[in-house]
Order: sequence, then C-alpha cells, then structure tokens
Amino acid sequence: MKKKYDVVIVGGGVQGLSLAYNLARGGLHRVAVLEKSYIGSGASGRNGEMIRSAFASEEWIRLFDKSLRIWETLSSELDFNVMFTRNGYLVLASTSEEMAACQNNIKRQNELGLGTCLVDAEEVINLIPALNTQVVTGGIFQSDGGFARHDAVVWAYARAARRLNVDICPFTEVIDIVVKSGKVLGVKTTKEDIETRTVVNAAGAYAGRVAGMVGIELPLEIYRLEMMVTEPLKPFLRVALSSPHILGYMHQTTRGEFAGGTGLENPLPYTGLKSTRVAAQNMASKFVLLFPGLYGARLMRQWAGVVSKTPDLGPVLGAVEEMEGFILSAGWGGYGFMGSPAGGKLMAELIINGEAPAEIRPFSPKRFKTGKLITESTIIGLAEKNVQ
Amino acid sequence: MSKKIVCYCQDLTEVDLIRAIEEGYDHIETLKRFTGAFMGPCQGKMCVANVLKLFAHKTGQSIENLRVPTMRPPVEPIPLGWLATGIDRGKDEEEI
Repeated sequence: MKKKYDVVIVGGGVQGLSLAYNLARGGLHRVAVLEKSYIGSGASGRNGEMIRSAFASEEWIRLFDKSLRIWETLSSELDFNVMFTRNGYLVLASTSEEMAACQNNIKRQNELGLGTCLVDAEEVINLIPALNTQVVTGGIFQSDGGFARHDAVVWAYARAARRLNVDICPFTEVIDIVVKSGKVLGVKTTKEDIETRTVVNAAGAYAGRVAGMVGIELPLEIYRLEMMVTEPLKPFLRVALSSPHILGYMHQTTRGEFAGGTGLENPLPYTGLKSTRVAAQNMASKFVLLFPGLYGARLMRQWAGVVSKTPDLGPVLGAVEEMEGFILSAGWGGYGFMGSPAGGKLMAELIINGEAPAEIRPFSPKRFKTGKLITESTIIGLAEKNVQ
Repeated sequence: MSKKIVCYCQDLTEVDLIRAIEEGYDHIETLKRFTGAFMGPCQGKMCVANVLKLFAHKTGQSIENLRVPTMRPPVEPIPLGWLATGIDRGKDEEEI
C-alpha cells in the first residue's frame, strides 16, 4: 500500500475490481482497492451468477446490454476463464398477466435491437422439458444470455488489475474518509492512512455506511437474499431461468448442481448472513413446484447475501454534488454481478473524462432529488411490493 | 507422481491444493472457492482435517489459529421435497 493514490475504491467486490481494472487500462495507475475482508466476500461471491439484458426499460436495457457485449469476450480480455456459458436466459411467464407483460417488454427490447424472442408454452417445454406444464404459459427467451462463475470473475478482474499495478488490499477496512471544505482529501483505514482526491464508494450492502463517512445520506436500504444449491444432478437445465411468478432465479452449474434463490413475499426484519428455515422452505416449495423432479434432489447448502437497494431498485452511479471527489457505484441490488463489466468500464470513463457516458447518465444520484426515478418492471428476487 | 486424494467429493489431490495456494488462493475462504474443497456433498465433513493440515503447513500458520469456513445448513443433504410445503406429495408421503 502506498501513501498516495489517484483513486481509492472502497469495496473489493466485482464492481470495485472491474472499475480498478478499467481505470488502470485507461491510463490511471495509482489506484487502490480496499476490501475489509477477502476479495469477493460480499454479494459478488453469493449471487445467482445470471446474465441478461432483456429488461423492460430503455435505461436498464442499454446499461445491461453494454455489459452483455463485454461478457462475450471477457475471458479472453482478462486472460482468465470466467466460464461464461451463453446457453440463453429465459424469463418464464406463468399467468396470462405475466405473458401480457412479456408481450409489452419484447416490443421495447426489439426496438432497442435485442435479439430476444417471445416463446409460447410449447416452445418453453421444448427448451426445458423438466418444467411443470401447469406453470408454463410462455416467456421471453434471450439466446445470448446465460451465466458465469461468480468467483472466477472476481479473481479475473483482480489479477488483470494487479498486472496493471493496481494495489488490491484485502483485510483493509476503511474507517473514515477525510474531507475539508466539501472536498475529499483521503481515507483512514485499519492499516494506514491514505491521501487521495477521489474515493469511489463500491461498498455493496455497506455503501450507505460509507456515504455516511462524508456526511451524505443516500436513499439506500440493505436488502437480504438467500440462495441454495443441490447435490450434482444429471443435466436437465441448460439455460438461466427466472420466474417472476415465484420471485425466483436459477440455473444448473457446470458441476451439475441446481443453484437458485427465491424472494420472500414478506421479507424478514433481519439483515444478517445466517440462513433461515423460512427461506429454505420457500425455495424448496417453489423449486419443486417448477420442477417436480427436484422433489428427491438433495439440498446441499444454503446461504445468504446482502445488497444495497435504492427506491427505484436501479444502481446509483456518478459523482455527488455535495462532496467533490466522492463517487458512487452503489445500489446495484441483485444486479451488480451481471452489470460489472459495463459498470466498471463506464464508471472508469466517467472518472477519467469527467463526464458520465450516456448509458449511466440516467442512473445519476440526482434522480432522487429531481424525482426522475427509473421504472423497471422485471426485477426478480425482490418482493413484488417493493417493485415500482 | 502418486496421487494423494485430500477431498473425496471433488477428487482434489494434495498437489491440486498446493498449486492453488501457490497461485495466490492462500486464504482458506478463497482456497475453498477455487478448489471446491468443503463444497461437495460432504460439505467438508470428510476433508476438513486434511485440508486444514495441509493449508497450515503450506502457509506456515498454526492450525489452531485457522477458522473453518462457515458450516452451512443442512447438516446433511436432505431432499427438497421434505422442505417443500403446499406440494402434492403423492403416494409415498406417509413413508417420509
């Protein structure tokens, strides 16, 4: 660790590491990433690994399609196999209302050039014969979506950043941010103090706390999700699958494990990382409903992760007006993993050029003051009552 | 070279673990995720002594100071059907 950096990134998750790599690639070499635990220890290593750009709103589609295009060549760009498996991503519709929403969304997606297609019940069953026909009405299929191995993405970005002389400091917690006359001057850590004029808040679930260090109150809430994984099974699910009907998302890993999570209709008043029986039963019931064949599949492990979420569930990206040198890449909710290639690249452009690229401009923190919130209706995993 | 199997679920050998540590996966949590040790059907119950002993030796740490990665539920793998509610369990429900 050096005494002085051009940019200090708080949070060694996939967003912070992607940003560090892209900053170094863009010519900034005095960059540090400070992580309070091991890298990828937060939501980056706990998420559902799924990747799509088939959203409903123009803002989300543009941002996440930028990401999807980078995913396609990410392994070769970073010289590390992130196991991006482009077998497709299906958003399942189980009712006629959900199918009507798909019909609405596909129009917008096709206008914006996405190669998504509307599929009927028969096509869905052909794609995934193991599905319970009772819950299949149709859906939207994005053939170039899929999933990747989340830990590998963390390591890939960390290694690539290190090769470009970024200092990645695990087990180094930021305890305060030094400011004077509305400007960032440095950070205090559990190790040494660092001088810097630019601090990026990429602290995931704890982004609200980090913003508090410079006296800024963000409309961020900690949101908790749980996931589970079964013992390895014979291949039966090639695509990444999400089901708004059960607030669920799932895929089968290359080892054969069925991995997924579901949102609780009534979220628990708890933000810790212990697993709960309520979530285990919720997930088991819904996954067996979707795939009756999973009745006898054995649950191997369940775990929890926490993220930060904003009032419109979209990430908050960009500089804050109240504090010069304090930049946000926060509030990614459950979408920080799939958004990390674009998030890091676009945020690096913002920092280097001093101007926000078009894809992230709508996600500026200003929107919570002006009230220009983004309406995105296909957020999966968060209880519906929270969705706009 | 003879193969010394350390983790029986994922067929990890001593050499696999040593190489991983040398590659930089030198924290027990990252070693777990990189190699898959503790992540198979036994969830670490069979391999924990082997892995910790090797890890402590290779990294020059005392085994007493190592923290075992979080043990997650369930204690043993159990069928999802046992946890599912509101599902038609069919004929064999009584047996479960």
